[in-house]
Amino acid sequence: MSPGLHTQPAVVNAASALLAEMKDASSSLTYAALLTDDGFDVARLPGQTDGARFAGMASSMQALGDAVAHELKIGNSEYIIIASGKGYVVQLRVPGQELVLSGLFDNDATVGNALAISRSFAQKMAELLK
Amino acid sequence: MAEHVILFTGPMGAGKTTAVQSLSEIEVVRTEANNSERHIADKATTTVALDYGEILIDGEEKVRLYGIPGQKRFDFMWAILKKRAKGMILLVNSDAPDPIGQMLSFIDDFRELYDRGGVVVGVSRADVVAGPTLGDFSDALERTNPGLVIPVFTVDPRDRDQMEDVLLALIANIEMRAMFGLTTAGAL
Repeated sequence: MSPGLHTQPAVVNAASALLAEMKDASSSLTYAALLTDDGFDVARLPGQTDGARFAGMASSMQALGDAVAHELKIGNSEYIIIASGKGYVVQLRVPGQELVLSGLFDNDATVGNALAISRSFAQKMAELLK
Repeated sequence: MAEHVILFTGPMGAGKTTAVQSLSEIEVVRTEANNSERHIADKATTTVALDYGEILIDGEEKVRLYGIPGQKRFDFMWAILKKRAKGMILLVNSDAPDPIGQMLSFIDDFRELYDRGGVVVGVSRADVVAGPTLGDFSDALERTNPGLVIPVFTVDPRDRDQMEDVLLALIANIEMRAMFGLTTAGAL
């Protein structure tokens, strides 16, 4: 049995570096987190925030998205978007990994732009963990 | 048609998902993720949002069954789910390190469900280890929460008949307490 991804220093370091790179790629990104499917915080940006509670919430939301897609027989949930007056949360699973990437973008980004950046960095994380 | 909303609470590994699955007459909505904490509960997956099932009692009373995630880090889900419930089946594992402490902690966290409806405790795996007796659980409840009427059973969450007995006991308990004006919600 392998230890949780959040306990593996190599994964945590790769995740932190990836989030920093994501921030460089999008000035609209105001918060981002990588977390395990079962709700453990792996890395977050800004790094000094307490990500435990958000990691739990984001993993629940991811699982509920999967459950809704299953219920409505539309295959797998590819991403989740929460839109509010102050910005968007875009969330998706890192392909092939038990990891979720969640990012908060302000209104300077379009939803399409936020989604494209999130997808590209989720893919990048998957390649880092290969 | 009367409707009841019942929560299955208790720590990870107590059998909440299994209990909802044993009882439900519809396909259970599950939100499982691979479990990173195999050292705490040796099982492959764990609930991260909720389980949801339904059962019809006496052919007309629909009971909605919600299972919570057992870990404290999901307590935001506890707050969401307890708002809609009027009763709780609290499951604890007899072979956990401190099952009585766990029971008391969940009673504290979900106390409003007692006030609003009713609570029963189900002790699972009681036949596997020589853990505390049912009397020990009841005594601890009486000592910490004097006056509360909380029946304690041994249960096997895999056994539909046993779970149905526990559920019916809870519903009877809720209805009786409501009839005598002992709850804040009145009759269901």
